[in-house]
Amino acid sequence: MIDFQLTSTQAQVKEFAHQFSKTVVRPISLEADRNHRIPDEFMLRLSQMRQMMTVGEVPAEYGGEGGGAGESKDKKGKTQKNRFALIGAEELAWGDASVLLSLPGPGLGGPPVQFTGTPEQRQRFFSVFKEPGLHYGAYGLTEPGAGSDVAGIRTSCRKDGKHWILNGRKCFITNGGRADWVVIFATVDPSQGRAGHRAFVVEKGTPGFSLGKIEEKMGLRASETAELVLEDVRIPDENLLGGEAHYARGKEGFMAAMKTFDSSRPMVGVLAVGIARAAYEHARDFVREHYQLARAIPRYAVLAQTLAEDKRLVDAARLMCWRAAWMADEGVPNAKEASMAKAYAAKMAMKVCADAVQILGAHGLEQQQFVEKWYRDIKVFDIFEGTGQIQRIVISKRILRESPNF
Amino acid sequence: MISFALEEDQQMIQETVRKFAAEALRPKLREHEKAGALPGALRQKFHELGLGLLDAPEAAGGQGASLTTLALVQEELAFGDPGAAVALWAPHLAAQAILCLGDEAQQQRFLGRFADPKGFTRTGAVGYCERAAPLAGFHTTAKRQGAGWVLNGKKAFVVEGGSADLHVIFAQLDGTSGWDGAAAFVVEAGNSGLKGGERQRLLGLETVKVAEVILENCQIPDGNRLNPTDFRAGVLEMFARGGLINAARQVGLARAAYEFALDYTQERKAFGKPVAHFQAIAFTLAEMATDVEAARWMVWRAASELERGEGTPLAEAVAHANEAAWRVADNAVQLLGGAGYVQDYPVEKWLRDTKALALFGPPSEAADLAVAARELGEPLSGLPSSTLQPFFT
Repeated sequence: MIDFQLTSTQAQVKEFAHQFSKTVVRPISLEADRNHRIPDEFMLRLSQMRQMMTVGEVPAEYGGEGGGAGESKDKKGKTQKNRFALIGAEELAWGDASVLLSLPGPGLGGPPVQFTGTPEQRQRFFSVFKEPGLHYGAYGLTEPGAGSDVAGIRTSCRKDGKHWILNGRKCFITNGGRADWVVIFATVDPSQGRAGHRAFVVEKGTPGFSLGKIEEKMGLRASETAELVLEDVRIPDENLLGGEAHYARGKEGFMAAMKTFDSSRPMVGVLAVGIARAAYEHARDFVREHYQLARAIPRYAVLAQTLAEDKRLVDAARLMCWRAAWMADEGVPNAKEASMAKAYAAKMAMKVCADAVQILGAHGLEQQQFVEKWYRDIKVFDIFEGTGQIQRIVISKRILRESPNF
Repeated sequence: MISFALEEDQQMIQETVRKFAAEALRPKLREHEKAGALPGALRQKFHELGLGLLDAPEAAGGQGASLTTLALVQEELAFGDPGAAVALWAPHLAAQAILCLGDEAQQQRFLGRFADPKGFTRTGAVGYCERAAPLAGFHTTAKRQGAGWVLNGKKAFVVEGGSADLHVIFAQLDGTSGWDGAAAFVVEAGNSGLKGGERQRLLGLETVKVAEVILENCQIPDGNRLNPTDFRAGVLEMFARGGLINAARQVGLARAAYEFALDYTQERKAFGKPVAHFQAIAFTLAEMATDVEAARWMVWRAASELERGEGTPLAEAVAHANEAAWRVADNAVQLLGGAGYVQDYPVEKWLRDTKALALFGPPSEAADLAVAARELGEPLSGLPSSTLQPFFT
């Protein structure tokens, strides 16, 4: 049945995440942004809290952890995992998206381990998150010379007995510097294109695997974005995701890279929704407090119209994300819808954040007003996880009868 | 639970209407446009499919369809032809007014004629709008005369005005002003006090007959004054349902324009390949596809929330669907180029129809202000109170 009401458990997750975001996350947001870092003790407290919390109270941001909210199966064996994850994530992004991206856990590295890894690999790489302390996974696909053009990666891997030797550079890797392991995509032969791709789990401390630099960015400054260097890194066979047989069929490595996006793009979309909603609400409350009949009505009406438009754009983007997540939960292929959700949400959120700065006027530029931060934070949502242009390529290749050659 | 799944009966009715639209509406789009009317046989087919009183409760001879089902049906009808979607729906408008404002006996008495097998020949009309109407209430008056009423005044923008078998006319009780003194009356066929004015020619939706209604000493019995428990609430509900239906039509129109452009740009070649294989065109198509979907989910959410009595999502959906449909129709004309502008193809019509449709529902601006008023927690003083009322009824 067509329905947009949250279940009572979902409403609880939303309320819990919102309160948490409001009272714990938002208060550290500006300082973390200024320092380009979220204090370790804060993250530690966060992860301890997370372990103490009973199942159902904390959204499972990404698959692979098991036992999270919404993972119980219905009669048809379907879960609401993706929908739960989106509901919680929107609230946390409302608080601060950087904090969300810095939450300990497998991060974007989770899906490839989950979907491509063997049971033994899943066990091995996910178990680290049960240990005390801050533990991260990461996802290393982008390179200085290949971002959107995934097939063009140049990081090489070659077989050497029971090992592989990896060489290359990865950039813009979220949590890359502190990750316990990173899923690194490499190629046996660039001329083979996608069929040459292999996915490895490279563990921290492996000789030859080092941190290049931590980027200083326009926004999401508290989130760590790292450059990683691989120089003759020896990786055992057991760390080739899915084992060698998995790649015998051709494009498996590439597909593993792409599979991540089916669940991560609606997630990234909903983070943009969370930021946009924060900016919208801030501007709305500002108007409510400062403009009450103090200005000529036409000016007020224009503000009202802008606010109403922004409100519905936020709601429409959320529905697009929910739709893609619902499809993922139903086990229906959702690449097109995931791309639509992400592209739409990013575009809408940039407008909403820009409107918020404009509505606040000069106040919009002041750092303590938050909106200038969200205005900086939001831009990357039209870039990472596939630029707006890449999303349009994904969508158009799926709506056209023959795949165009562009 | 968040779900985008259709029920089995919804899938069936969607399939039925889709087929009806593809076979009976789309191929005749230009023919119906030129005739400025729909043939009786088409209305009969529509009636026989059970769409005649789809949204009326079963007790009143309808199907008792939910608002989400209504939205699905309207999207499909408008996908075939937005003008036909409006024209075929005319009896529902009057029926809706009677359902929202009449008591049970009145519902039985007046709706029966639409429900019976010959009901397809009968249309209904709602006379609500007036040129230069007061901020609240109407210039049209209703005066007591013996045991009945006499109506005098002029109604504008009435679908099937003057030619319908039944008119619901909104008027001001003599000596009153504002909403408290407003009432609705049923004027039945053959009443010589009601005349239709000259047919008004429209920008789009030519199939829809729109005319003024002139009331000159129009005498009606007391039993024809609709007897609502809450007049204002009844009117709001009537317009909310109408607004939802119209927003769903915009989604259908947008989908029609998008799919047409999608097909055309893959056939049409330039520089040795289908034009759809150029990124500028492909990206536009991707945005059109996204626009259609976002608008549809907004309409679905509005339908589902309206069932629950929550109206704000509807106001959002109205403005959103109007904007999205216009953008998609404009893109479709643009992608077809010259072919988009000539009448050999339907897209030029859709670009006109979408503007017209936007006025058959509440104006986007009023909808947006209703949302803002709610969000800002206060009525926007100095602005007309927004009832989400359309220009055309």
